[in-house]
Amino acid sequence: MATKFMLFFLCFTLSIVTVKAQKAYVTRNGQISFVATNDDDVSAVNNEVASRITTNGDITFSLLIKSFFFQYAEMQDHFNSDYLQSNTYPRSDFKGKITNIQSINFSKNGVYPATVQGNLTLHGVTKPITVNGTIEVQGTKIIAKAKFTLQLSDFNIHADRVAKKVAIQFNCTYQ
Amino acid sequence: MKKTLKYFLIALLVVAIVATGFVIYVYNKPHRNVANEKAVTLTAEQLYQAFKDNEQHANQLYLDKAIELTGRIAQITTNQQGQTVIDFNTADSLVTINCTFKEAPQNIKVGDSIHFKGICTGYIPDMNVVMNNGILVK
Repeated sequence: MATKFMLFFLCFTLSIVTVKAQKAYVTRNGQISFVATNDDDVSAVNNEVASRITTNGDITFSLLIKSFFFQYAEMQDHFNSDYLQSNTYPRSDFKGKITNIQSINFSKNGVYPATVQGNLTLHGVTKPITVNGTIEVQGTKIIAKAKFTLQLSDFNIHADRVAKKVAIQFNCTYQ
Repeated sequence: MKKTLKYFLIALLVVAIVATGFVIYVYNKPHRNVANEKAVTLTAEQLYQAFKDNEQHANQLYLDKAIELTGRIAQITTNQQGQTVIDFNTADSLVTINCTFKEAPQNIKVGDSIHFKGICTGYIPDMNVVMNNGILVK
């Protein structure tokens, strides 16, 4: 009797664990690039974006400001010291949810539209943002892509002489 | 009168040369080359511990600095731009030191003990310390 009960209990516990099991896709080398909307020369790419997406819809990413690479070294210096103050604010973090997660089938290859809502912290300022993009399922890996625009003054970044808005391109391949 | 014009033209020429020089400087200023920089020598473990113990203090010590890191290669991958990336393990199984090479290094494999010299760009808690612009020292 006791063993039967134990067995039942074990099965019950296991089933809960299974229901709660969610897969996390991770990358340490995702890519985020940006370009000033008024000047193509002002652009940079960061290939060291750390990000995580779980099958229950959590999405986070973090990047280091000093990991942005500009074609022009002089621009990179100004970006870090004058505009982003990357010694004081070395990192930018995002934490959010994929709001239409139920329409994404992680076990079936395809490109799924995704809407993400969350909070972006940049230059010491946290603001809610909503972004539309896609999640592509390719076997065991997924690729998340999105394009959106940030108004620099929203994040207390004053680079008016160079740019007021930047177009961000998010492109991360996860395993 | 002729003399004034001559001086004026010379002055104009000087201004033009200075302005051109400035533009050339801005557009051609080379990126940092760690090969020519004096580096702090650390083990991968020491670098991780410094950030884990006190991120702010570690930022003051290591952010933007050239560091020669010694460790055993745990993983070799390429980033989305095709650059070679290696990870060093730390005492925390979730956290690595993520190091991107400037140019693809020759003859490295998982398990090798190497000296990686690069620039530290910071720490992402629960993920990694990031180094880039790297070269293989030995």
